[in-house]
Amino acid sequence: MMAAQTLLEIRNITKQFGGLAALKDVSFDVTAGEIKAMIGPNGAGKTTMFDVLTGILSPTAGEVSLKGQSIIGLRPDEITAMGMIRTFQTIQLFEGMTALENVMVGCHCRTRSGFISSGLRLPASRREEKQIKEKAMAVLKDVGLHTRANEIGTNLPYGQQRLLELARALASEPDIILLDEPAAGLNQYETGELATLLVRFRERGLTILIVEHDMGLVMQISDEIVVLDYGEIIARGAPQDVQNDPRVIEAYLGIEA
Amino acid sequence: MDKLARPLDADRRNYRTLAIVTAFILLIPVWARAIPGDVLHMDIVNIMVLAGIYACVVVGLNLLVGYAGQISLGHAAFFGIGAYTTAILCTRVHGFPTWLGVLAGAALSGAIGWLVGKPVLRLKGHYLAMATLGLGEIAFILFQQLKGLTGGTVGIMDIPPLSIFGLKFDTDLKLYFLVWVIVMALMLLSINLIRTRVGRGLRALHSSEVAADAMGVNTSSYKVQVFVLSAAFAGLGGALFAHFQKYINPESFVIAISIMFITMVVVGGMGNIWGGLIGVLLLTFLPQVIQALPQWIPGLPSGLQSFSNYELVLYGLLLILFMMFLPKGVADGLGRAADFGEIRARHLRDRRNAKRLEGR
Repeated sequence: MMAAQTLLEIRNITKQFGGLAALKDVSFDVTAGEIKAMIGPNGAGKTTMFDVLTGILSPTAGEVSLKGQSIIGLRPDEITAMGMIRTFQTIQLFEGMTALENVMVGCHCRTRSGFISSGLRLPASRREEKQIKEKAMAVLKDVGLHTRANEIGTNLPYGQQRLLELARALASEPDIILLDEPAAGLNQYETGELATLLVRFRERGLTILIVEHDMGLVMQISDEIVVLDYGEIIARGAPQDVQNDPRVIEAYLGIEA
Repeated sequence: MDKLARPLDADRRNYRTLAIVTAFILLIPVWARAIPGDVLHMDIVNIMVLAGIYACVVVGLNLLVGYAGQISLGHAAFFGIGAYTTAILCTRVHGFPTWLGVLAGAALSGAIGWLVGKPVLRLKGHYLAMATLGLGEIAFILFQQLKGLTGGTVGIMDIPPLSIFGLKFDTDLKLYFLVWVIVMALMLLSINLIRTRVGRGLRALHSSEVAADAMGVNTSSYKVQVFVLSAAFAGLGGALFAHFQKYINPESFVIAISIMFITMVVVGGMGNIWGGLIGVLLLTFLPQVIQALPQWIPGLPSGLQSFSNYELVLYGLLLILFMMFLPKGVADGLGRAADFGEIRARHLRDRRNAKRLEGR
């Protein structure tokens, strides 16, 4: 087996909101090429962790490094450019944009035409536009949405909107993608399709950190699971171990241990 | 591939519209001249120069408000900075080239836009509206109080006509062509911007700043850049205004003018590059038409001639009505009317065909 390379290192992250600690001294690693799941009851701090990782929130204490480089204090767009991107729990497609245009926005951090080059339609900008369009179309095809390319993104059926968000994130050519409840609102068939898609992406070398409530999906695809409760890690390990951990059962069902 | 063809066609349509509108606008003086002098009781060419000057501001403001989703209630400040810059340079510095004054006006306006925009654009929504309103007020007071520089409430007189490489734009007609060529150039620039990477970034940040950030758009930088661009456009308009009027004083840059610019954007259509132009034309001509009405139709109260006192009431009313009934402006309304017409026509045709079939 190849030496497992740590892609994302999370060290002692604490996030206080006033007196409330949403995350308390949380540490874990994400290894290149794995699918890691972060689960826990509502309010456990999972989305807060995503916000910290992607630069939307800055942690009260702790350190995060991506590919060996600290990313604390970087802007969200800088972190995206470094190869880590996320999707959102509530779908955040851009209004009034076609599916294709949404994905084209995802290409932003891999392209550079600015106000002058775009405004004057310089050759570099035209060339880049063509590349962006081709790239975005290829990504849409990858998730099976190429036939909807010219439809307004927010008009697509719910399941396809989720896929479109995924495609938009993939267009940034990430090393690691953070998925915040990608199966929320999907029916069983769509969830199955999503699982197949995610496994396919992992085989291609994409690392995935997923927050999800659909335990079927989590157990099926993840290599390792981290369980958060009240901002603390209460368990971690392979899916079957976590599943039988009494602390996890207690956190989810509220049974006195 | 044919799936890809559609948005390309939309682009081409935009450029074609630009060509048609340009041709149309450049022909207006010919038509205006063909109409016997006293029929209209207004100087179309003169009003159109003013409209073109306002259009410079509104095209930029529409990028800021309509596309990037930010607000400025103080753009008269940049309009004024452009005007005063060239006016001061061209009246104080002997032999200062007027075209350079205009460029300096746009540049200084953009630079001040950057200085102000950097801190102010961290604010959102109402707070940004308030801050830009304050900016407009501060600029107005400075225009009044920096007497040594601006001439105070009296203003600056005898501003020389604009001349570019020996070509003097000293009549309304000459200025008309210059101003509208500039407007069309700014339109072209804007169309290029909105259909490419930068425009997608602006529209993305309008829709959701958090999502745009997360997708790799540097939203704070984009906001400042589009603010600077709109300030420079406004400064350019202001500088042209100074050379057109030959006389400026602070009254031309009051808050009401900022409100007028925003009203033009809203009435025409936020986030519609053509809408802005429609808004400018409507709102520049409307007061003139109302004032001319008593001359067209005998028996109307001649009090309408002092209508300009009530302009602000009109802007306010238009803002309220458009926000309520046509929030996407006239351009969207026209588009929807065209769609409705098409559906209606199809419906009538179907009925006719059905009748014909029955008749057999």
